[in-house]
Amino acid sequence: MVRPGYFFSETFSSLRRNFFMTCAAISTVAITLFIVGLFTVIVYDVMGIVNSIKSQVELAVYLEDGISSGLKDYIEQEIKSWEEVESVKYVSKEQALEKFKEQNEGSDILKEIDGNPIPASFEITLKDPEKIDQVALRFYDKDGNYINGVNDVIYGKNYVNKLFSITAIIGVITIIIIAVLLLAAIVLIFNTIRLSIYARRKEIEVMKLVGATNWFVRIPFLFEGFFEGFIGGIVSIILLYFTGNFLLIRAERLIVDTMRIKEMAIVGSSGIIIYVYIGLAVLGGLIGLFSSGIALRKYVKV
Amino acid sequence: MNMIEFRNVTKIYENNTTALKNINLIIKKGEFVFLVGPSGSGKSTFIKLIIKEVEETSGSIFVAGRNICNLKLSRIPQLRRNIGCVFQDFKLLPNKTIFENVAFALEVIGKPGYEIKIQVSQVLKLVGLYDKINSYPHQLSAGEQQRVSIARAFVNRPPILLADEPTGNLDPITSEGIMKILSRINLIGTTVLMATHDKNIVNSMRRRVVELEEGEIVRDQKRGVYGD
Ligand SMILES: Nc1ncnc2c1ncn2[C@@H]1O[C@H](COP(=O)(O)OP(=O)(O)O)[C@@H](O)[C@H]1O
Ligand SMILES: [Mg+2]
Repeated sequence: MVRPGYFFSETFSSLRRNFFMTCAAISTVAITLFIVGLFTVIVYDVMGIVNSIKSQVELAVYLEDGISSGLKDYIEQEIKSWEEVESVKYVSKEQALEKFKEQNEGSDILKEIDGNPIPASFEITLKDPEKIDQVALRFYDKDGNYINGVNDVIYGKNYVNKLFSITAIIGVITIIIIAVLLLAAIVLIFNTIRLSIYARRKEIEVMKLVGATNWFVRIPFLFEGFFEGFIGGIVSIILLYFTGNFLLIRAERLIVDTMRIKEMAIVGSSGIIIYVYIGLAVLGGLIGLFSSGIALRKYVKV
Repeated sequence: MNMIEFRNVTKIYENNTTALKNINLIIKKGEFVFLVGPSGSGKSTFIKLIIKEVEETSGSIFVAGRNICNLKLSRIPQLRRNIGCVFQDFKLLPNKTIFENVAFALEVIGKPGYEIKIQVSQVLKLVGLYDKINSYPHQLSAGEQQRVSIARAFVNRPPILLADEPTGNLDPITSEGIMKILSRINLIGTTVLMATHDKNIVNSMRRRVVELEEGEIVRDQKRGVYGD
């Protein structure tokens, strides 16, 4: 049997020889995969937001804890009297908690809940969704504070479409960028392999002459390509890890603030991030294998 | 036993050059055959066909009784392990020592290390270069380099040795040394086919001579000389 040491020493002497090209190839793979990873995480988050907005009612008016039943009834009567309103439903604290537990079954969030932090609310549907801002404004006094007894007003549904179209545009742009970068990465790895093949053309000639199998000739180059892609994948994971901990959390907060979504809607991508990491490493390796594969097809004939 | 047999073999290259025309030839086990003829007569093509470096256009080629024409790509390495090849330009790897150059031929076919050591030492003794084992090719004379390349071709003890103008770059005295080694290899039972246009060598050896001219066999003589 062939000693694996042979392949390793061949690979690493090749990597050293083409140091600059190798670095360029690895960086390109890293950047490409970083964007792929970041985009995956963002899409996942946006999907989460969209889903939770969808499950929200058109307009939810959250009540202060410990509101008197008199004030509660008064607000309810008031809402019912508005002509834009189609229906009003009261959701008690207990019902709300039940619902939240259902929606987040199996999530870590449930462990963090103690007591019942979820407020009671009125869920309001409107005859004409266009009037939503107008209706929502009635829960504010002239200073911009919520009226007595009201804690928060949420109306997310009309953001869903906006969020969708923004995501779609970002998606198209990202996919174009990824495609271009991916092509660049493949070309760069292809090129480092081409250089290694060129540097070792005499050896390859002798190998074939004395009856080395095709795989034996190819494996060091495949390994080199795989290694470059895989390292690129690892670098992208490191980049993503730091961005995830820094940028993404800020971005999520920004979305929460501007879109007035209940913070709990964002479960975050922590649950899938490990799969994203694994995916990126595997993808990097595959890109490397693929690129060296085509270089071998082109430059190493039987 | 027929070691190499050509049956109606024609080779036309992609650019329509006819290198070999309807060749019929049998080389028996243990023979020493000179393939002679002027430059461009098809000698190298003949050799390349045997190791499947090029594909015949028509006809069949048998090596050790097996038709190699429909050989699967994956079987070609096995064929080449049984045929040693020596060329005019030695094809040694400059960054490897003499030992490593010869050992390389065994390493790439997956021989274990202890076997490699023994076989390389033996073959380097056979070609008289055992004392140069740690030298690099550039530290050797052209004749010595050719002996290393013969050692590499023969280290796996193939039943067939092909040599394409092995003395083409060498002076007459050095060439004589190379011929002694090839004779010795032939004496141990190896079938040797050597392409050359070196008159003196052919005439001094008195072996079978096959002469090519524009891709056709024009002479096949038992104990021949180069030409008239
Ligand atoms: N790869 C090739 N492509 C096209 N023509 C070739 C090729 N190799 C050899 N030839 C032609 O085939 C003929 C025989 O060449 P070759 O076998 O090399 O002869 P020799 O070795 O006797 O000099 C020559 O005319 C040569 O130009
Ligand atoms: Mg020739």
